[in-house]
Amino acid sequence: MINFIIRKILALIPMLVVISFLIFLGVELMPGDAVDFMISPEALSTVSPAELEALRDELGLNDPFIVRYFIWLANILRGDFGYSLQSGVPVSQLMANTLPATLELTVAALLISTLLGSLLGVVSALRKGSIADNVLTVAGMIGVAIPQFLFGLVMIVVFVFNLEWLPVGGRMTPGRELFFQRLEYLVLPAVVLGLALTAGVMRYSRASMLDSLNKDYIKTARSKGLKEWRINLIHGLRVAMTPVAVLIGFRLPMLIGGAVVIEQVFQWQGVGQLFVMAVRSQNTPIIMMIAFFSVLMVLVSSILVDIVTAILDPRVKLS
Amino acid sequence: MGTRALQKKMDQILYREQHGLLKSSNKSRALRKILANKLAIIGLVLFVAITILCVFAPLFTPYQPNSIDLRNRLAPPTFGHLLGTDQIGRDIWTRILFGGRISIFVGLGSALGAALIGVSLGTYAGYRGGLLDATVMKISEIMMSFPQIILVSILVTIVGQNLWNLMYIFILTGWSSMYRMARSQMLSIREQEYIQALRAFGISKAIIAFKHMLPNAIGPIFVNITLSTAMFILQEAALSFLGLGVPLDQPTWGNILNVAQDLTILRESWWVWLPVGVAITVFVLAINFIGDGLRDAADPTLIG
Repeated sequence: MINFIIRKILALIPMLVVISFLIFLGVELMPGDAVDFMISPEALSTVSPAELEALRDELGLNDPFIVRYFIWLANILRGDFGYSLQSGVPVSQLMANTLPATLELTVAALLISTLLGSLLGVVSALRKGSIADNVLTVAGMIGVAIPQFLFGLVMIVVFVFNLEWLPVGGRMTPGRELFFQRLEYLVLPAVVLGLALTAGVMRYSRASMLDSLNKDYIKTARSKGLKEWRINLIHGLRVAMTPVAVLIGFRLPMLIGGAVVIEQVFQWQGVGQLFVMAVRSQNTPIIMMIAFFSVLMVLVSSILVDIVTAILDPRVKLS
Repeated sequence: MGTRALQKKMDQILYREQHGLLKSSNKSRALRKILANKLAIIGLVLFVAITILCVFAPLFTPYQPNSIDLRNRLAPPTFGHLLGTDQIGRDIWTRILFGGRISIFVGLGSALGAALIGVSLGTYAGYRGGLLDATVMKISEIMMSFPQIILVSILVTIVGQNLWNLMYIFILTGWSSMYRMARSQMLSIREQEYIQALRAFGISKAIIAFKHMLPNAIGPIFVNITLSTAMFILQEAALSFLGLGVPLDQPTWGNILNVAQDLTILRESWWVWLPVGVAITVFVLAINFIGDGLRDAADPTLIG
């Protein structure tokens, strides 16, 4: 097992080098550079081209491409992620400010979608053809079809404007920053992001559970006279959950993508909002760092998926 | 059905099989299964209806999508303006119809483009294997490790915001899942005996792959195209919401929804954002119904 994990992690390194190069290349290709955005158009007329060049030199923008790539990579390895081009704040500090918010949101959404999705999917499979199954199936189809932000907006209209139960957005009221005091802010974005993913998990776990219930070993278990709940939960569910675990792992990119949109809807000050702001103002160090970080998360989660699969399904060999 | 009737039916099937007549009934089996699938039919009707409304938009509305009427700002629905007007007095119903043209075009066009690249690469590389396959596989792995919206946002800023660029980006980021699907189909078809026979005849690899293998994988490909269309339409909407999609002067479903970021409009003028939201949802739902129907029809393991 340890060997398996180490090998997986080692295989990650060349991939990360390639991806970091691609990200750097991509950002390089963006039109304009930081200097264009640092100086307001009115001020630009008073600044001489020589001063602009000096500023570019100072920021290291005039070095050859490949030199800057290696400087960037070396800096990252030393834990220096660069500085925001507009405000000069270290990117690592910006990430440290926003990452907890995003983690809070995504972990809550992941919990909601995993628990609710697999539970409803299994119920749906066990009661196949019942009213509950049909209602859930239709709800799941609509859940996949509705744009996430639209769902968020509808929830704002219902729960904030009409019922006035929850705050419209933001993350906390100043002075009330304990976790349970912030909870009312978290509920809506987490539920919206969670439910948006629930539909997929539910559909998948229903199909997987149905598939597993048709297998021969279920018939064997039944003919042994085991209790029905035992057959379903112990023999059926365990096998059915393997593909679901895989699905949840592979949904992580969608979760991150969803968080970008949902953070915008609810003014949730996380990494997603930081990213959108950075893209709009071409703040390259921030864009690079977030892109790199999100890829890292995806790759690590795919390793986790492999491990969970191996634990759940004894037929999977680790070699 | 009595035993004799059953036997008679079996005899008929046997007869048709022996005389090579079964093929025609086999062909209609997929069609029959789709027609028997109520949801797929509902989806198809909705899809066709919305597409016709959008394509022939000028026939269904007297207004232009971008004509501004500042005396009629944020007017609620009336007979003159079926779905009211937006904050600068443009007719919402007209904008939804014209916006649908672009949104559907982007969704369908990107899905077809991605399928063209992904399927041709997947078919050929999947059959040939070797270095080509390994390289393309690695590239697709790298593409897929980016969260889609992050990759798309970076690309949008590189090439600039316009309609065609958005489609190119969708194709560039979307082909890899098509490639993987086509490739996995090819890998299983490759092992079948008729392929060995073709190879023994000395037929070229490209002809085997595209003429003799691809048609057997066409079912899942169509399913994938429909589902990708839905995905791209949702993505266009999300990007426009973030201000990174099609430029705001062109009406698209996402751009019309964009104004709902304004909390006053969200609270007080439901007709500006709700109908277009419903339009997107219903259209995507319709495509998903069709996709599900196609999948059931193409999959011989599901009997019914």
